[in-house]
Amino acid sequence: MAATTILKLDGLSKNFGAFQALRNICLEIIEGEFLTIVGPSGSGKTTLIRLLVGMDQPTEGEIRLRGTRIESTPANKRPTCMVFQSLALFPHRTVGQNIEFPLKIRGEPPARRKERACELLELLRLPLEYYGKRIAQCSGGEQQRVALARALAFDPEILFFDEPLSALDYRLRKALEKELKDLHERTGKTFVYITHSLEEAMVMSDRIAIMNAGRFEQIATADQIYARPVSKFVAEFMGEVNLFDISGTDRRGIGSGSLGSKDNLDLGLAGDEVGTLMVRPEFVRRVEGKGSSDFWVRGQLRAEYLLGSRLHYEFDCDDGTTLTVEKLREDRFRCAPGDEFLLGWDLANSHVIRSRG
Amino acid sequence: MGASRSTKLALYAYAALVVAFLYLPLVSVGFASISRARYLTFPIKKYATKWYGSAFASETVMDLLVVSLRIALIVAAVSMTVGFFGALAFARYNWRYRSLFQKVILLPIFFPQAVLGLALLIWFNALGVIPDWKTAVVAHLVWIAPIATLIIAIRAYSFDPALEEAASDMGASTWQILREITIPLLMPGIISAGLFAFLLSWGNFPLSLFTTGADSTLPEWLYAKVVSGYTPLVPTVGVLTVAGSLLLIGIAFAVFHVFKFASSRSA
Repeated sequence: MAATTILKLDGLSKNFGAFQALRNICLEIIEGEFLTIVGPSGSGKTTLIRLLVGMDQPTEGEIRLRGTRIESTPANKRPTCMVFQSLALFPHRTVGQNIEFPLKIRGEPPARRKERACELLELLRLPLEYYGKRIAQCSGGEQQRVALARALAFDPEILFFDEPLSALDYRLRKALEKELKDLHERTGKTFVYITHSLEEAMVMSDRIAIMNAGRFEQIATADQIYARPVSKFVAEFMGEVNLFDISGTDRRGIGSGSLGSKDNLDLGLAGDEVGTLMVRPEFVRRVEGKGSSDFWVRGQLRAEYLLGSRLHYEFDCDDGTTLTVEKLREDRFRCAPGDEFLLGWDLANSHVIRSRG
Repeated sequence: MGASRSTKLALYAYAALVVAFLYLPLVSVGFASISRARYLTFPIKKYATKWYGSAFASETVMDLLVVSLRIALIVAAVSMTVGFFGALAFARYNWRYRSLFQKVILLPIFFPQAVLGLALLIWFNALGVIPDWKTAVVAHLVWIAPIATLIIAIRAYSFDPALEEAASDMGASTWQILREITIPLLMPGIISAGLFAFLLSWGNFPLSLFTTGADSTLPEWLYAKVVSGYTPLVPTVGVLTVAGSLLLIGIAFAVFHVFKFASSRSA
């Protein structure tokens, strides 16, 4: 199937007075994909989604839906729909009336509306007797499903989600993440999801867009973002990481000199080009001697934390920096705090982030 | 933390005294209305219900009732409408002069009603309007519409703006949002506001005194008759006035019960 662009954002900016909430956002959303926009609070993701659904207008730039410009079309004239963070279920209406709302607005006859509402209850695995229930009688997870059913009743071209799972407890959230991914596969619709939770993004999405300070840092698959981040921000946002500032000629770690490496490694940095060497904690192992791995560093064990299936270690390096290491329970180090280790890893498991500008 | 038996008893006794102090005068008016005597005397020697018959037969009393009712109903209806939109401006939307609006709209509540009535009378005079029950409607509205606005605004504050946004997102026009979401959700507030507006207008004396002109309302008549020319109809009409208020509250409770608007929000 050829990838068709359903929504194209071109040079989108939004200012609130002197504050630039969004700067020059460009993005192509592919029909049928599950795209998640992740960023810390204040990164502009809520502002962005409000522009995408039409509740706000951009200061500059274009939004094209299948080639047609829609940036100044109000929300009620756009064929897209959003599941709100608060879910925004109508408390004075029953579950059935909530789901039927978009159909009622469209003027569909009551019999057709009810038929569709029942189909959607079934799709979301809610018992049919929920049709007449009040919203307040539904649990958090059920309300979530009702909100989804209502959005699907609208039959949107793109379904947007504004962190709808953030208020739920951990176990329910985990279950609903999988349900949402499954629903995406069954409906074949384009889902655009925003969240500050990376875990949520990784479980569900085909692609992830990382947002920071009103811009996209990187748009790629979860795997690429985890293994090949384009910036230190992305590397640090995507979980625990060890970073070393290096240059093409100085691989010992600029200013620290604690990092050891083989001489013939190709880091992809020219001469005095500056970059950051990244290694995830799970790739660091205990090595016998210098040279038995591509990189090495000497460290003294400070603390060991049990994370359930894994163990998390923090080592103090010679220059005062911290090196984090993670091991599966079965590969647990036999050691005590204060023990000195030589720790190493290979180039194949590392990644070099080139400094921009 | 449980209060001791004697503390509880003291509290109950205190509450009973407060209630008695509040309601005994009203009850005594009730007794006075069924006294046979032509003058207000206590204790009542002989009872009779004949004054009720006279009240219902009296054209004056019926006229008073009609004027009071007409003013109160119009004031209630206008207050509900104006208060609804006022509350949206007050609580729901952010606009440039909102803070100024919030202050200006509440100002009439803080004026002593007698001063407000006098000011309005002078104003009607200056405009060349001859005061009658219609000017009283305007006068009541100046004081009551802000109260209605405030009552509805309290309800509007507790309502998630995302509900309207969600409705819009699903294709609803401004009018559909109003009809399907905003009005039903604010309805408990609107009904309370209408109720208050009616009762405040129905029982209002100072504003009516200045602005009804040749027309007269029930409270005005009660006052006039007590000052000069007491008739046994006075307590009777008083009781009828209270009965009217109670009837309205009863109806309102019934309406609330029938509709039973969900006060709990989805969360």
